[in-house]
Amino acid sequence: MNFLKITLLFAITLTFTNCDNFFEYSVYEASVKTEQKNTTAKNLKLLEKIKLESQDFKFAFITDSHYFYDNFRKVIEDINKNDEILFVIVGGDMTEQAVIKEYELFYNIMKNLDKPYLTVIGNHDHKSNGANIYKKMFGDYNYSFEFNNNKFVLFDDTVWERKGEPDFNWLSNELSNHSDYKQVFTIAHIPPYGDQFTRDLEQEYIGIMEANNVTLSIHGHRHKFIYDKSPSVSYLTGPTLKDAAYCIVEVKSDSFEVILIEL
Amino acid sequence: MKKIFIIIFTILFFVNSFAQEDILIKDITKAREVENQSHWYVPDYVKIQFAGNIGLISVGIGYDFFDSIWLSELLYGFVPASVSEAKQIHLITSKNTFPILTRAIGKNLTISPIVGFTATLETGNNSFLKIPDVFPGGYYITNAIHFTLFTGASFHKEFTNSTIFKGADLYFEVGTIDTYLWYAITAKEIGVNDIFSSSVGINLYI
Repeated sequence: MNFLKITLLFAITLTFTNCDNFFEYSVYEASVKTEQKNTTAKNLKLLEKIKLESQDFKFAFITDSHYFYDNFRKVIEDINKNDEILFVIVGGDMTEQAVIKEYELFYNIMKNLDKPYLTVIGNHDHKSNGANIYKKMFGDYNYSFEFNNNKFVLFDDTVWERKGEPDFNWLSNELSNHSDYKQVFTIAHIPPYGDQFTRDLEQEYIGIMEANNVTLSIHGHRHKFIYDKSPSVSYLTGPTLKDAAYCIVEVKSDSFEVILIEL
Repeated sequence: MKKIFIIIFTILFFVNSFAQEDILIKDITKAREVENQSHWYVPDYVKIQFAGNIGLISVGIGYDFFDSIWLSELLYGFVPASVSEAKQIHLITSKNTFPILTRAIGKNLTISPIVGFTATLETGNNSFLKIPDVFPGGYYITNAIHFTLFTGASFHKEFTNSTIFKGADLYFEVGTIDTYLWYAITAKEIGVNDIFSSSVGINLYI
């Protein structure tokens, strides 16, 4: 009889929990669920399926979601409502402590987005085993793609957490065929005028942008909207999702517009 | 820590293998009990736990304070690289369990609802007690210490005839990390299912 009671209580305990992850061994685990792996490659495939008749399109830029989950979700719903936005770029700091749980929470909220999305890693995402998790869940830290005769280069430019300078050789090389495209957009979490860049690194980054005729260099990290439009290279820093705000970039045949959306 | 645990178990197994109704050994056991009472640092129980954010497996020693009002434990937890899919994870944990009440449900068998918390230290997975000097002051807080909060049920059985263990607890818990709980409280988007996980363990009283 006692055995029966114990078994029953055990069963109730197990049923009650019904957790997302039934057992967790440590916050530092880096075991990414199979269905959550290679997200970048999956989204690039989705992007390839989009066929456009005109040169004009819009994409959204969201960044620095950290743990501001409610406003993050609010922004995702707003983007879903806008059919003109074809895809979303995430500017990094999608976690606070870069533990697997936070990556999963980010992934789960992004599942609500009904458009493809692409990410760059932020400085917070490098903490603990975050870089390891990012690699499995998303893919390469540095990569590029083409969309409608435009080139998008996504680049990991964190300095302190990676314990090394950004791979500017890769960046220069990736941008070297810029003349094959109508416009070129780079996305990296830390802006050249950000805290982690020394004066030398800042000059090097700006030099690469100018040498390769980059149209717009897009960043996060600063948690505020800063837009510097210039005839040569323009710089944009997106607002944090804490403020339920994001940017829409409207790409035209040989120009672009940045629109700030505050919910 | 690990060595202490191994020594305790070696003694226990040694005692077990020679015990079988041997009066001499019973005397030794009695002597050990007297010894236990005389040294404050001799633990009241040894334990093993599965999961709970303090290791795949964690083992250690426990002390029963104020007649099972507060159970305080020191644990070493481990997650092998094959499970963590990163480096090996070594965790040192202080675990504190508070049985809320105790009810008899059978002969020498009681059940207690429990609540408690742990504090866990880990410094091998890009985690730092002191943030590296490259970061300006206040840039990050330490990522080497985490707290868990848990609740569950514990069954206690008294062994009246055993010369090895006086009794045992079998417990089941659901718990979470402090920051995850904060997310669930502050964000509607994060539910209880997102943050809680289970653990199970045994305490063996010596």
